[in-house]
Amino acid sequence: MTRPRRSLFVKYFITLFVAVVVPVILGSATDAWFAFRDHRLHLNELLQVEARAAADRIQTFTDGIRDQLGWMVQFPWTLGEDVRRRIDGLRLLQQVPAIVSVSLVDPTGTERVFVSRVSLNRTGRGADFSEDPAFLGARANGVWYGPVQYQRDSEPYMRIAVAGNRAAAGVVIADINLKLIWNVIAAIKIGDTGHALVVDDSGRLIAHPDISLVLRSDGGSGDFNRLKSVASAANGSAVATTGDNGKPVVALSVRAANVGWTVIVQQPVLEAFESIRAALWRSLMLIGIGTVLAFVLAFWRASRMWGPIRKLEEGAERIGMGQFDHHIAIESRDELEQLAIRFNQMADELAASQQKSERINRLRQFLAPQVAELVEHSDQRLLDGQRREVVAIFGDLRGFTAFSARAEPDVILAVLRQYYEAIGAVTARHAATLIRFAGDGVMVLVNAPVDCEKPAHSGIQLAIDMQAAVQSLAGTWNAGGCAVGFGVGIAMGPATVGTLGYHGRLDYTAIGNVVNLASRLCSLADDAQILVDPVVTGHVRDRVALESIGERPIKGYDQALEVFAVVRDDAAIEDPGCQLQPADVQPAYAAREPSFNL
Amino acid sequence: MALPSGLAWPVAAFAEDSTKIYRIFWVSTQSQPDPFLDGFREGMRALGYVEGKNVTFELHYAPGSPQALREVVADLRRGNIDLAVSSGPATRAMTEVKDVPVLFALSGDPVALGLVQSLGKPGGNFTGSTFLSLALAGKRVELLKDIFPTLRTLAVLSNTNHPGEQSEWRATQEAARHLGIVPLYVPFAGANELDNALGLAGDARADGLLVFPDALTMVHRSKIAQFAIKQRLPSMFGWSEYCDAGGLISYGANQRATYFALASYADRILRGESPATLPVVQPTKFELAVNLRTAELLGIDLDKSAIMFRANKVIE
Repeated sequence: MTRPRRSLFVKYFITLFVAVVVPVILGSATDAWFAFRDHRLHLNELLQVEARAAADRIQTFTDGIRDQLGWMVQFPWTLGEDVRRRIDGLRLLQQVPAIVSVSLVDPTGTERVFVSRVSLNRTGRGADFSEDPAFLGARANGVWYGPVQYQRDSEPYMRIAVAGNRAAAGVVIADINLKLIWNVIAAIKIGDTGHALVVDDSGRLIAHPDISLVLRSDGGSGDFNRLKSVASAANGSAVATTGDNGKPVVALSVRAANVGWTVIVQQPVLEAFESIRAALWRSLMLIGIGTVLAFVLAFWRASRMWGPIRKLEEGAERIGMGQFDHHIAIESRDELEQLAIRFNQMADELAASQQKSERINRLRQFLAPQVAELVEHSDQRLLDGQRREVVAIFGDLRGFTAFSARAEPDVILAVLRQYYEAIGAVTARHAATLIRFAGDGVMVLVNAPVDCEKPAHSGIQLAIDMQAAVQSLAGTWNAGGCAVGFGVGIAMGPATVGTLGYHGRLDYTAIGNVVNLASRLCSLADDAQILVDPVVTGHVRDRVALESIGERPIKGYDQALEVFAVVRDDAAIEDPGCQLQPADVQPAYAAREPSFNL
Repeated sequence: MALPSGLAWPVAAFAEDSTKIYRIFWVSTQSQPDPFLDGFREGMRALGYVEGKNVTFELHYAPGSPQALREVVADLRRGNIDLAVSSGPATRAMTEVKDVPVLFALSGDPVALGLVQSLGKPGGNFTGSTFLSLALAGKRVELLKDIFPTLRTLAVLSNTNHPGEQSEWRATQEAARHLGIVPLYVPFAGANELDNALGLAGDARADGLLVFPDALTMVHRSKIAQFAIKQRLPSMFGWSEYCDAGGLISYGANQRATYFALASYADRILRGESPATLPVVQPTKFELAVNLRTAELLGIDLDKSAIMFRANKVIE
């Protein structure tokens, strides 16, 4: 049979486990989700602030140059002031490092002064700028920002033109080395490794913390153009994409309005989400710890529950198999321990009960059931060896040997069964002790182990009843064509009584001359005869009619012994009764079974 | 509570081998003391390189001897060198080197010299800095003219061993013609001819002296500057170091700063970047240095000219 051995364990385990783990996971997951959302918002704000700051700085850079250029066009052009204007230009170069060269153009669009850090300066009527977009743009809008150009395909330059308030002030056109924006951009750090970069409308890099990327002729323009379009498409909010270095980044773009450039700030995803990832890891760790704890706790709790139950089950099984000495040891200090204690008590009681029933069964072998009960409930020492006055009665079938030789086995067994039943019934009726059957013979004791008030009387009456019972049976057997008789011998005297044997095979028996004598008398007796020794005769002569059959030599006796026989008459002999008198006979029992008298 | 190690973030392992000692081959046509090397070393130190610990400099000086330079280059190709740095004209001898990254700092145009394909994309094993001296050659004449409007003749001292020297001379001639100055070409080839050349310059009776910036004149800057003072010649040089040594004026990129910055390229190349993708750096700042002591010795009042407000460095 397959028993669901672990089902309770599994149920308890799963219940406890789930009870702990589910709240932990739910709590952590909710926390993590909210933390992630907040962090995302925070990151967006951070990048926006940084991008705006970067755009502002770039605007400040270009505005600063524009303002400085404004000094050059405050006065209207007059004749013969080229030298003064040249000094102004040189001072401007000194003042603004990013300006590489300056052209001062008069209101007609003619360059009058040119100063440069590298090229030779020029004064006087120079190139015609009247159709130059810089000149026209500045004239139209006051200030004009040219497209970014790369000198020798490497260094980024831009032209800025500023016109005076009045047309007469002319226009100043400056070439700016944009490498100097590097100072502005390189100073912007987002986190540890995030940075800002600037691209123009075509996606070409203008400024980057790594200046060599700007100077590189192709400038990885594809990458930056892609980054620009992705970041611009997000419309001012952070977007996760691949950065300029090919790694995943969070990027955000802002436009520097005056020059039309795009400032992109980017932070590696790894770094941007490091804190939230740390939080996620913490949550995971908590979940892990919670799970392990829940596992251990659930296992422990379920084991604490399941272990004792298994012990109880095992104990019950062993007790059921008869191991009453099995002790269920549970120390859980709860109801289960109580249950185990009850189990143990039950086992003890079962053991006691079984012992008792075993003893009664043993007593029933040779005592009448009532006597057996009596003995069982009285002092156990009744069965101990002792020397006392007993009446021994031996009975023996006559002609049985011949009968058994002729008869069928089942007939023989049937005869013997009837014979034993009859003997047993008579013995029980007289509360005597049936010592043993031996084939067709039987031995009965009176006054042992249960005291009898008048053993001799009781014994003789038993013998008479026994003879009568067997004789009435023998009549039916004889009718079957076989002559079977029954002889009885009875003697009284001291004998040693007690239980003998070994292991479970114990017999209650009596040893002494009186036993031998009764046996000899039985052998001497004829069919239907009861031979009585002188001692019994002495006791019952006044009650039972006895006649002497003379002295007979008895084996084991030096002298011949006078033997008496019960006179056969069918008159009832008054049975003095055998009063049960064990040491601790209970009155109630005595009242229920007041007498064994016939 | 000790965290399980699996939960810790994996620390990005740097491929950089900390026990590796990089060998840097320094090639120069100068001789020590070498201010350029000092600038480069300073830059390397600033980037965390410690000589003897993770970097060694193998210095090879071949002043004015093409044969010695060839031997140096042969050495370079034999040795297990991580990076070669060539200062000035030595670079020309390095063109044969193809398998070792070479950093240079040049006065001339590296594209014209065939070292790189373009400034933006060198495309080979060469990259570095250029001082754009060629463009500034005319500017120097102009500055001298600004201070001394009466300048009519200008002695031009030039080391003919210097690559690009002829272009520089042409640019100078062009500017001089434009400014109405007669340039007097005083060429010399190597240190041996310097004294002779100085003698010639002195005999030329010029109004001023222009010295092309070059490793050799740099090494002998003090001698040249003192010569100019003795000859009462206003002198114009390319780098501020000449002014430190007594030259009157110099205009050009800061050499030391350039070499200092070159160290960052050295670092990037040692970390594995290819010189082919590192653009050649051009100077952004040009330094105008003026030595007022020399001006005093020459009896020149510079305050009268429109030069002092433009000076970035004034030696008083």
